[in-house]
Amino acid sequence: MNIVAVYNIKGGVGKTSAAVNIAHLAAQDGFRVLLWDLDPQAASTYYFRVKPRIRGGGKKMIRGKLDLDDQIKGTDYENLDLLPADFSYRKMDVALGDIKKPALQLLKLLRPLSYEFDLVVLDCPPSISLVSENIFHAASALLVPTIPTTLSIRTYQQLLKFLKENKLDRIDVLPFFSMADRRKSMHVEIMRQLPKKYRNFMDAWIPYASDVERMGLHREPVTAFAPNAIAARAYQRLWNEVAERLSLQPM
Amino acid sequence: MISRRKPTINPDTAFSPVAGVSLEQFLGELGHRFDFSEERPAYIDRTYLDSFDWRLFEGGGTLCFERESHARRLVWTPHDSRQGRVMLGRVNKPPRFGWDYPPGAMRSTIGPLLEMRALLPRIDLVTRVRTLRLLDDERKTVVRLRVEESRPRRAERDDDELNQEQPPVAVRIVTLPVRGYDDELADLRKWLYDSDRVTPRTPCLLEEAINATGGRVADYSSKLDFEFDPDMPAAEAVREIHRFLLGVMEQNLFGVREDIDSEFLHDFRVAIRRTRSALTQVKGVLPASATDHFKERFAWLGQVTGPTRDMHVYLLGFDDYRDSLPRQYQGDLEPLRAFLIAHQKLEHGQLVERLASPEFEELIRQWRDFLARTDLGARSKHGDKPLIEVASKRIREMAQRVFEEGDAIDDRSPPEDLHELRKSCKKLRYLMEFFQSIYPANKIGGPIREIKRLLDNLGDYQDLEVQAGKLRHFAHQMVEEGATPADTLLAMGMLVDGLLRRQQQKRGEFSERYARFADTENRQRFQALFGNRGGK
Repeated sequence: MNIVAVYNIKGGVGKTSAAVNIAHLAAQDGFRVLLWDLDPQAASTYYFRVKPRIRGGGKKMIRGKLDLDDQIKGTDYENLDLLPADFSYRKMDVALGDIKKPALQLLKLLRPLSYEFDLVVLDCPPSISLVSENIFHAASALLVPTIPTTLSIRTYQQLLKFLKENKLDRIDVLPFFSMADRRKSMHVEIMRQLPKKYRNFMDAWIPYASDVERMGLHREPVTAFAPNAIAARAYQRLWNEVAERLSLQPM
Repeated sequence: MISRRKPTINPDTAFSPVAGVSLEQFLGELGHRFDFSEERPAYIDRTYLDSFDWRLFEGGGTLCFERESHARRLVWTPHDSRQGRVMLGRVNKPPRFGWDYPPGAMRSTIGPLLEMRALLPRIDLVTRVRTLRLLDDERKTVVRLRVEESRPRRAERDDDELNQEQPPVAVRIVTLPVRGYDDELADLRKWLYDSDRVTPRTPCLLEEAINATGGRVADYSSKLDFEFDPDMPAAEAVREIHRFLLGVMEQNLFGVREDIDSEFLHDFRVAIRRTRSALTQVKGVLPASATDHFKERFAWLGQVTGPTRDMHVYLLGFDDYRDSLPRQYQGDLEPLRAFLIAHQKLEHGQLVERLASPEFEELIRQWRDFLARTDLGARSKHGDKPLIEVASKRIREMAQRVFEEGDAIDDRSPPEDLHELRKSCKKLRYLMEFFQSIYPANKIGGPIREIKRLLDNLGDYQDLEVQAGKLRHFAHQMVEEGATPADTLLAMGMLVDGLLRRQQQKRGEFSERYARFADTENRQRFQALFGNRGGK
């Protein structure tokens, strides 16, 4: 089982859209996929029309007192299941803080599912916290959607620094440009320069597209309701590249 | 370890409307009770794949290559729906052999079932699918209901229309669970079960489709499985055995010619060997003049099919050969693989010519005519005698020979003595297998198992020697045919050494195996079963 986290310190960078579409594409390719919506805003959960609620309480689940298995919901797509968000996730740091070895708790919770899923996609909340530290311990790769702006570059550098300082640099960091607008010269310039500095930048990038925003209306991945749209094709390229870079195979 | 998704509920039986109820009537009633949305109908082209001997179906599931608009996927559906399905996406053309699949759940599911057998298309279906999604108040799908109308597709048709000339398979309504929505599924299923509009049916579409075309799944077996009456004339039983074996040869012929996989030729050759054994071992039951002629002709057929089988054996065993060498020498063996592949093609080409020859066609025609004759028993010495009498006498005599030959073998006996014993054991085994139905099943099973155990040892002992000799022969041949690297010859030398060591090990195990076979208890079993009219 591979665990891939879609993460950025900054919010509003196209994180959830990437998580949702990649999970959908992986499922179409025969991977048995679990998407875990860790963000209390519950956007992934909303896209899949699932009620954002953990029966018995999210806090209890995080502490390992509830079986993760019983909380998983099938989506409208074969091979793709969802572990919904819960409003209590906004206090997940507190819940984790009470546990022994809090930084490894997510990994511990996910382990029993390893025979059931080929790929777990974590849709992570923004900010750096005990939750994100958990994510860095659990995931084998971080997909980092990055808007080609100077501010985004700064947060990307902050992330690298944090990983290094906390000896978490074993994790594969896979940044990609997100919400990119080729009409803006700054976007174009950064997209040209940054991959020269950071060789691990992905070739695939996601354009700023209204189709992605329409996901909220359709409540479906864009790769499902408009598979031939520019955005959907971009997610397809992104997923192909992720699968190749990480040598992902359905088990 | 193969992981499987835990199902939310089991099993997902299919339903069909009862006679006199139209699908629309049923859907109308469903719509009154549940909130559902219907997707645009889709057409799925399905090709069910299985080996010639139905290993997947017999092994617990069906494998289907599905094409739906641009999607191409392989789907493994277990008969027991409590086990999850296994999917493999992005398949343009399904690989024919298990070992050609990418590592993963599909390969680990079908690979061990198929072993060396190739996948063949068993039936093509075109299915019109209407998917109804039962929705909750968020308009989230909580259960899927698929209505499938399938028709077998004739091979030459290639359009997306339902083929009106083929018999349709009954409409199937299938519920597909969505994880975490057990209550909704249970509601729907209860409604379906309680409804007098639909009736449950077998969940296996492959089986229904094949039945609809008048065929039968799992209709091939090379296993000897006769039901004889102990008092029937011996010639009639022998006729039935020969007819069955001729059928096996005929059924496998296309696969031998096309070289689809090695087992076609294997089954073909086993049928030849059994035919020869039945001809020689059941003496005096068929007219002697004819049996002499056919014995000679089937010996010829066995001989001409041998070289291709040899090449199959070495190619099937190649990975084991390679793995038996120290890692640093494993690569040296590759030229041998290339040699085997090239020679397998050559030998197969010659075999195909032989199988197209007038000699072969004449043999099959004559043999079929001979087996159709009404006076088989009357023109022989024992043909009209009761089967039990003839069979018990032959088995008794052969068992006695086996015990005599075996008892005479000690640690200094030459290999030829063991090879002779193997031949006799094989004859005895075939005889017991031909006629086992006239003896009590609980009594003849033991002696057959024991002789198989002994034969495994004797077979390995001889085969290892033959393989070692053959590899030496190949080495000479490779040198004659061109520049073979010295490293390859050295690696082959190591193989020969390893094979001969293993052969010695088998020789060491013989006395214990034989002692078990020839213990008092087993001798008494033979005596009790075949000493008089048998145990029935």
